[in-house]
Amino acid sequence: MELLLLLALLDGLAYAAQLFMVAVGLTLVFGVLKILNVAHGSLFAIGAYSASTLAALAGTPWLSLLALALAALAVGAIAGPSIERGLLARIYDKEQVLQLLLTFALFMILEDVQKLVWGVQPVFEDAPVRALGPVVVGGIVYTAYQLILLPGLAVVCLLFLVWFLRRTVTGRMILAVAHDREAAEAIGIDSRRIYLLAFTIGAGLAALGGALAAPTTSLVPGVGVQTIVLSFAVVATAGLGQIEGAAATALLVGLGRSFAVYFAPELEVVVPYLLMVIVLVLRPSGLFGGRELRRI
Amino acid sequence: MLSLEEVEVAIQGAKILRGVTLRVPEGGRIGLVGRNGAGKTTTFRAIMGLLPLERGGILFDGASLARWPAHRRVALGIGYAPEDRRLFPNLTVEENLRLPAEALGLAPAERQRRLERVWDLLPELRELRDRRAGALSGGQGKIAALGRALVTGTRLLLLDEPFQGLAPALARRYGEILARLVARERGLALLVSESNPELVAPFVDAVVTIERGEIAAVTRKPGL
Ligand SMILES: Nc1ncnc2c1ncn2[C@@H]1O[C@H](COP(=O)(O)OP(=O)(O)OP(=O)(O)O)[C@@H](O)[C@H]1O
Ligand SMILES: [Mg+2]
Repeated sequence: MELLLLLALLDGLAYAAQLFMVAVGLTLVFGVLKILNVAHGSLFAIGAYSASTLAALAGTPWLSLLALALAALAVGAIAGPSIERGLLARIYDKEQVLQLLLTFALFMILEDVQKLVWGVQPVFEDAPVRALGPVVVGGIVYTAYQLILLPGLAVVCLLFLVWFLRRTVTGRMILAVAHDREAAEAIGIDSRRIYLLAFTIGAGLAALGGALAAPTTSLVPGVGVQTIVLSFAVVATAGLGQIEGAAATALLVGLGRSFAVYFAPELEVVVPYLLMVIVLVLRPSGLFGGRELRRI
Repeated sequence: MLSLEEVEVAIQGAKILRGVTLRVPEGGRIGLVGRNGAGKTTTFRAIMGLLPLERGGILFDGASLARWPAHRRVALGIGYAPEDRRLFPNLTVEENLRLPAEALGLAPAERQRRLERVWDLLPELRELRDRRAGALSGGQGKIAALGRALVTGTRLLLLDEPFQGLAPALARRYGEILARLVARERGLALLVSESNPELVAPFVDAVVTIERGEIAAVTRKPGL
């Protein structure tokens, strides 16, 4: 019993870390651009596939770890600006429904692109996991990759974002645009540049989430759908635009799901959505919502 | 310095400004007076580039601003204090003032100089510098919004109904501040809107009256 509890806890932490990495990008993009980017799931998937490909080419396990980061960086840096400039920048003044449809259409296109490039056979490359080896916690053998690297990176990512937004000039400009775009422009902030930047960071985080998840699972078509739906649940439960909130909710959803796996397997799939429904019925703006992007 | 030529603006299909022509010369102080809904705020937003023009043009130093986004207009030395303040509530007062200087990419020495100019004119704001803007009273917020506009407004200051909602004592104080500002900085131009012409009379040299989106009258030196 105790062993099961511990196992559920460890699984939950590893899973929460992965969830957070994708959800935080989605919530950042929404907070600034006020667009719910459905294609965030595709960026996750493309990040994951690219990372697998690059990790397989890397040769040594340690280089394969580096390959994950490079893949995420490349996908974020290429896809982010081209999507924002090429598509989104044309529809900021249009209705929200249209914006949602556009990102949905993009999602569908990118799903096909994935199948064209990587096929439909499962892709699996765990060299990065092997690079870090196992750790033993309370008699349970776990991979250091999932137990230390992923949660560690999630925490670093959260602390970095909070510091960046609050303590740097660029961060404060992002917060200002998120809070009140017109007022921000009226004091000299180039909101188009801020949109581009925020979207690119968000795309990079989606790709990083995918790249980090890739070595722990075999990639199949549809991985993007699963991701966008789950991160949406996390983000909506926290309150759209909430960054620290997304971390707390990712933890909640991650632990909730892993405990369900061990103690009520039939609930596993519905736990995240159950949480979302309960929270949204009680607090429509989410657990931490009510105000816009964080604390500005 | 600033001129609006036959400016027409529509919001959601409804014509709001119908041919507004307005000039603010270098160092000129103009009151823009009109009732609620006359189009004062819309005029300011059009000047800032926050609303597209249907027709007409806006010139600054003789050059058309037509293709200039708001943030580039700010860089010309225009400061805008919206009627509803629009401070960033979770930044401190000082961060609110620093942000425009940082956004314009000014050198640190120049940023400091601009800040000192504001502290000097508005000593009460210096006392509040570490306060969250969201924790200011309405009147303090108005003063902070003026301070923030001053950071970028080195040549032209656009103040939208600065006296609105101020208690009488504070309105007097605000008037003193403006009088001191215009006396001290001869080259600074001012466009200030009000529904009550008497409030702006002490420090403007002309009043432009706007009615239903049209300029109804231009009066020089009111009360003299
Ligand atoms: N976003 C909007 N949507 C629809 N109509 C608007 C909008 N903004 C302004 N208007 C209309 O435009 C007209 C002019 O508004 P504006 O805010 O410029 O007036 P104002 O002179 O600033 O008034 P006040 O003294 O109340 O601030 C009003 O009739 C108003 O109803
Ligand atoms: Mg108004």
